[in-house]
Amino acid sequence: MLPPSFFRNDVLVMLLLCCAPAWTQPLLAKSPADPKASDDTALLALQTEVKKDFKNKVEPFVKTYCFECHGNRKSKSGINFEIAVRKPAVAPFSEIWTKAYVSMSAHDMPPEDSDKQPKDDELQRVLDIIAKTKYLSAKDPGPFVIRRLTKTEYGNTLHDLLGVDPAVAAELPDEVPGEGYMNSLSPLQSEQYLSIANEALNSALAAKGAPATALQKRLFGETPAEGTDLRAQAGKVARSLARSAYRRPPSEAEVATLLAVFDLGRTNKLDYTASLRLMLKAVLVSPQFLFITPAREAVAGEKIVSLDDYQLAARLSYLLWATMPDAELSELADAGKLHEPAILKTQVKRLLMAPRARALFDGFGAQWLGLAELADKTFDTKKFPQMTGPMRTAMYDEARLFFDSIVRENGSVVSFVDSDYTFLNGTLAALYGLEKTVTGPEMRKVKLTNANRGGILGMPGILATTSFPNRTSPVKRGVWVLEQVLGQRVPPAPPNVPTLEKQDPKKAASLTLRQRTELHRTNAVCANCHKILDPIGFGLENFDAIGRWRDQDDTGGAIDAVGELPGGKHFSSPLELKAIIAARRDDMARNLTEKLLAYALCRKLEGYDEIVVDRLMETIAKDGFRMQTLIAEIVASYPFMNRSIE
Amino acid sequence: MSRPHLIDRRTCLRGLGASLALPLLETMGWADALKGKAVKPPLRLGFMYMPHGVIPDQFWPASPETFLKSPPPALESLRPVLDQCLLMKGISGVPIAPFGSAPHALELSTWLTACLPDADKRDQIHIAISADQIAANYVGSLTSLPSLELATMPQTHKENQEGLNEGYYSHCSFRSPTQAVPAETNPRNVLNRLFGKTDKPGNISQTDPLDRQMLDLVISSAKDLRRTLPQGDQHKLDEYLDSVRSVERRIAAMEYRQKEAALEKAGVSSSKRRASDSPPIEIKIPVSDKRSEYMQVMCDLNVLAFQTDTTRVSTYIGSTPNGVSYPELGFADMHHSQTHHNNKADMVAKVAAITAFNISQFAYMVKKMNSLREGDGTLLDNCLMLWGSGLEDGNKHSRENLPFIIAGKGGGSINTGRFMANTKGNQGDLLTTILACADIPLDRPIGIATRQIKEMMAKA
Repeated sequence: MLPPSFFRNDVLVMLLLCCAPAWTQPLLAKSPADPKASDDTALLALQTEVKKDFKNKVEPFVKTYCFECHGNRKSKSGINFEIAVRKPAVAPFSEIWTKAYVSMSAHDMPPEDSDKQPKDDELQRVLDIIAKTKYLSAKDPGPFVIRRLTKTEYGNTLHDLLGVDPAVAAELPDEVPGEGYMNSLSPLQSEQYLSIANEALNSALAAKGAPATALQKRLFGETPAEGTDLRAQAGKVARSLARSAYRRPPSEAEVATLLAVFDLGRTNKLDYTASLRLMLKAVLVSPQFLFITPAREAVAGEKIVSLDDYQLAARLSYLLWATMPDAELSELADAGKLHEPAILKTQVKRLLMAPRARALFDGFGAQWLGLAELADKTFDTKKFPQMTGPMRTAMYDEARLFFDSIVRENGSVVSFVDSDYTFLNGTLAALYGLEKTVTGPEMRKVKLTNANRGGILGMPGILATTSFPNRTSPVKRGVWVLEQVLGQRVPPAPPNVPTLEKQDPKKAASLTLRQRTELHRTNAVCANCHKILDPIGFGLENFDAIGRWRDQDDTGGAIDAVGELPGGKHFSSPLELKAIIAARRDDMARNLTEKLLAYALCRKLEGYDEIVVDRLMETIAKDGFRMQTLIAEIVASYPFMNRSIE
Repeated sequence: MSRPHLIDRRTCLRGLGASLALPLLETMGWADALKGKAVKPPLRLGFMYMPHGVIPDQFWPASPETFLKSPPPALESLRPVLDQCLLMKGISGVPIAPFGSAPHALELSTWLTACLPDADKRDQIHIAISADQIAANYVGSLTSLPSLELATMPQTHKENQEGLNEGYYSHCSFRSPTQAVPAETNPRNVLNRLFGKTDKPGNISQTDPLDRQMLDLVISSAKDLRRTLPQGDQHKLDEYLDSVRSVERRIAAMEYRQKEAALEKAGVSSSKRRASDSPPIEIKIPVSDKRSEYMQVMCDLNVLAFQTDTTRVSTYIGSTPNGVSYPELGFADMHHSQTHHNNKADMVAKVAAITAFNISQFAYMVKKMNSLREGDGTLLDNCLMLWGSGLEDGNKHSRENLPFIIAGKGGGSINTGRFMANTKGNQGDLLTTILACADIPLDRPIGIATRQIKEMMAKA
């Protein structure tokens, strides 16, 4: 038996994280941007004010109402305001304030049975101050996260450098995703970098005795005439190889290392070309190649430095193309011009318009929409024999081409949800009931007449990944819309909740899925979250577990897609639900901006980032929430262009 | 040239650099015939996993007395080697609160760590070094590969229950609290990398004779780069450099072996293999996609790696908790879907069949080890193979009596042929005891461990 107090806390934490505020006016992030915060001096003034308010108003408040349970003596749920009130801006504490904001505005805290209760206006004053916690963060771009190139990036980079098939890297293990996190290599796998380098060189360079390949001539130059100083020549080659492969000019020490490798070859009786080959191999297994590293070392005492143009070129190129900078980016970096705002903007546009920009979908878009797992997802093959390899590919490509079209045409983020076209081939058209008009294996743009379709909410790939192998899951779909489209955090279900399968079979047998799910919502603990999640999912119930339209569910009962969202927003079809979601363009744009910024920085957003996003949102909104602007603004943002040094 | 092996050793030592512990030289001749000493064969540790628990009344023996004569249905395949097995009932798992709704995200990642992820950093990998990697740290430098990690499913399943990093779902080996070790799933890669051979003719992988020295230069120059990085990031570079160093070591060890083989051929017996040892087993990569064949070829590779002393630590994730189906057993259901059986007879039967199937793969492996002679006994005598699951009963997600089977006498450290019906201990205690049996010193107990389960051990 759990002690009752523990149990109560547990429930409270869950409630405060998942109840109504999540829908209406959720976390601090959504508090209206203070117009004064638009420049740095104003920010400083604001910081001083908020600090003062914390000391003079918040501290006495929490002392009166909160310390008893959340202080040094007792820290229920691990929350201690005595510490947090003194350093409200420090990361773990700022999270405490976020939680406090949510639970106090929902009147969950202080608990009802507490003797001391704040008056409404007293509470509101404190809430208003807590909402400004974000302004306390010092201006900080965050570190430049050092990471190994991903498998995809590594394969692409080898392709650009040596003309080999990117599949040469296929045997490397897949990365475990996470914000900036990369998994390590097993001892067995670490050897793969060496063997991949061997393999790539074997296919790129001529075999011993054979005439040099064109690429070889480009990398190594012409075979030097007799009497040439070979070592001096090798030094030039080392410099140019390292400039491309390290994506920046090498240091003198780095050139010396490569020359030492050249010498190693020569001492061991390798000829000039074979020694260069060994040197190139050294380049390919060097950490400078596998990690993006700065060209310029920080001067002692510097706390924040701007990225040098080489690092910026690499960061930009890996973000949008998942490969090393091309010639144009490299030239701009050499000329030291890339960071100039107009030039940077032009380059972002150029990269986005190129076919290689599909990397942005493969790396980011697919992860955002949850489609990366479609290829391996299990389906009940008896029920859904349609879920073949080609079908899964077509589903993925539909989302990819759709994402790509919005980026290319510089559409608004709203068009992700509300559009009148998609991309289909014969295989996929069958799920739309369009198999008569769309045939053959090629994907093409198709105008849609059925307004229930068009946009990610009615896209088969997404409807399928948010379903179970054999049936739809209104809950999963609801969570997906809230988290992936609107950017809200939905807490996991509390422990020991029976799934639908475990309900009394007799009672459940005669009910539709909707009735069964609602049965499960009669439990008060579940109801709080599910009253928000489920309606969204039910609004999409006309789409079956692989995204086909249906009017009846598996039990034969008619689909009931009627629902209401907090705030009295009523809908009765996917079409109407779509309109409600599409109207929340600020939330959608903010969500996409936050997710893409985190992806671009390879880290979790925290502290000052919130203010960065506030500012980005102002510019993006002014431009009608258009995608190219959103991406260009992220690239030009303070944390993308700068790095902090510990 | 009168004492060629000494030159070899010196070369070897120089190539290995300072990072390599000296004992390699000792162990490269663990049965050095030249010295006329019969050295004990090394102990090998193997871990094999099945997710989702078992059907308890088909797994646990009726009593210690009847264990050998009438083993429970799930253990039928182990019958021929039961006298070399040890079963312990009563080993409890790590209580998973506050991650109550993540039983499957944690069953595998707690299996060899016996502890929970750091709740404050749950979106990152932040747990503890796992028992297999502790062992690899200690004995890994003695073999060309510190440890072998195998799996038969990709480890990229994405489901972050309780906000936990997705990596927890399908990893059980952690080199450090923040580094999950991915497993190799392709038998051909293992064969090729581990033994430099392949079943495809004309595709022998080779290392360039100068690679080792080249890598040495690359590593030493990386020090300058390291200096320019923020402290928090230096470990990422170190991780890569460590892995490059391990490649260097492997090349050195391979070269050593090649020379050893040459010496042997020339009649200078410096080989550690004894005349009585069985020749290395043959590996056949299956062409069909039958699950049994896939699982067995990975077993074979594990056996070969141990038999040739290529590694002394292996971890084999039979399947990850996101699960597979077993069409060979006559049904297409996914493993997990059947474990929530609510005692429905047909579903219980399917889970029992899946469990027996998985145990029979383990049985296949240990029986093969038992058939291979090594020193005065068998390879299995010198192994400590642990099979188990991170849940007891998948229907209830219970963790009170985790199912574990030990096979092999662990070099004489384990008292086998028994069922200990009332074992007192938790999974940390078990792992701590296993490492103690392997003579691996610990600076602290593993995870939630509080004691060693001395009752498992053979009387000294």
